[in-house]
Amino acid sequence: MTGPFAWFKWEALFAEWTVFGEGALMTLAASMLALALSLALGVMFGVMSTSHWKIAKAISRIYVEFIQNTPLVIQIFFYYHGLPHLGLSLPVFSIGVLGVGVYHGAYISEVVRAGIQSIPKGQREAAYSQGLNYVETMKYIILPQAKRIVLPPLANQAVSLVKNTSVLAMIAGGDLMYRADSWSSQNLYYGPAYVTTGILYLMLCLPLASLARNLEKKAEVHA
Amino acid sequence: MKGKFTILAAALLSTIVVLSGCSGGQKAPAAAKLAPEIQAIKDRGVLKVGTKVDVPKFGYKDPKSGKIEGFEVDIAKAIAKKILGDENKVDLQGVTAKTRGPLLDNGEIDIVAATFTITDERKKSYNFSDPYFTDGIGLLVKKESGIKSLKDLNGKKIGVAQSATTKKAIQEEADKQGIKLSFLEFGTYPEIKSALDAGRVDCFSVDTAILYGYLDDKTELLLDRFSPQTYGIASKKSNEALAKLINDTINELKSNGEIDKLKSKWGLK
Repeated sequence: MTGPFAWFKWEALFAEWTVFGEGALMTLAASMLALALSLALGVMFGVMSTSHWKIAKAISRIYVEFIQNTPLVIQIFFYYHGLPHLGLSLPVFSIGVLGVGVYHGAYISEVVRAGIQSIPKGQREAAYSQGLNYVETMKYIILPQAKRIVLPPLANQAVSLVKNTSVLAMIAGGDLMYRADSWSSQNLYYGPAYVTTGILYLMLCLPLASLARNLEKKAEVHA
Repeated sequence: MKGKFTILAAALLSTIVVLSGCSGGQKAPAAAKLAPEIQAIKDRGVLKVGTKVDVPKFGYKDPKSGKIEGFEVDIAKAIAKKILGDENKVDLQGVTAKTRGPLLDNGEIDIVAATFTITDERKKSYNFSDPYFTDGIGLLVKKESGIKSLKDLNGKKIGVAQSATTKKAIQEEADKQGIKLSFLEFGTYPEIKSALDAGRVDCFSVDTAILYGYLDDKTELLLDRFSPQTYGIASKKSNEALAKLINDTINELKSNGEIDKLKSKWGLK
């Protein structure tokens, strides 16, 4: 058999499985850091976009529109190929964390904004009438209720964030996708390489998705 | 979508040809001797060829005319002439180092003439013709870097193309000279050039013929040449008949001096 999935190609892959293992670890590390960054950015800008402070609202709007309406690949290319011409040469791993984190931060910001705005106005007014200030209102009244609404779309974002770290392959990032490209392009055994890579991404994303589902259940119980 | 439609149309067309051939009785005993894969190309009436579109002199899409031209395009035309009797019956499709293998496997193209280096490992997956060109790997660096030879690249980063044999060849040479290099792989040549310009890599290394296309005022090509690479025409592994036909054509071109004429036509050595 000589097709793309010939057995000897699988054997070659098993013999060099560490290539894929290291790639998966790198993807995992970049994903976790990017996820933390995007959550921080998302909550911050999401809250800002619902505030009455016009400047905060405007900044948040600019961030979201700018990031949401340009392709991730272009943003990554800018960090990698563009910034060095301006005298700033970030290491490729940081570009992954920063690029993907900032990108998904914008989406998460929209998720958070939608969640906050879905809480009836009366809740906020009631909180103010009890003497709570803005931060306390957010912290004790609005955000805990919004959490229930934002969890499902947030889980979507987390999963697509993991998959989107594969853009690092285009800038020689050493992530799982890059390793698969690199390995399979050398020997042209692309069949087993991409099937394995797909399964590894599945293994990275599935636990995240089920974790999110558990959190969802928990949130509903407490609601 | 368009590709699918073309395949569908081709399939329909070939069915019609086959059907009408049947109704006309068995009047083509000469054609019956042909292998089914070759017959399929004949029925289709066009040879589907994968060539480079970004390598000047080999396979390059002229931005003005929109036509793909080059040494390898001419070789593909010679093969088309051999099979179909008309050198213009070629359907050229741009491929990259990364796409040429899969496109052969899924039948989207019949042959690849795209600076495809012959290696033993690759021979397991595809049929290669005898070599029609030999080229060494070159090193392109920024003038301002002051790098003059591979030795100067000790501890530096080399940008190479995915699916190219460069990495392995340079690594072997580096081991011999006792220097350490790291490699960054990119999908296309312009990306490597961009990485060189941005200082992401210190050296752009692929086959020398390809590097000539990227030489500009700020960069220079070092005199070092490594591990001569031989290019061959690749075809699907299962398609032995086509591989033989290609090889016969290549050897014919070599023996009648046609290949040397083509090389001088394109200014290649």
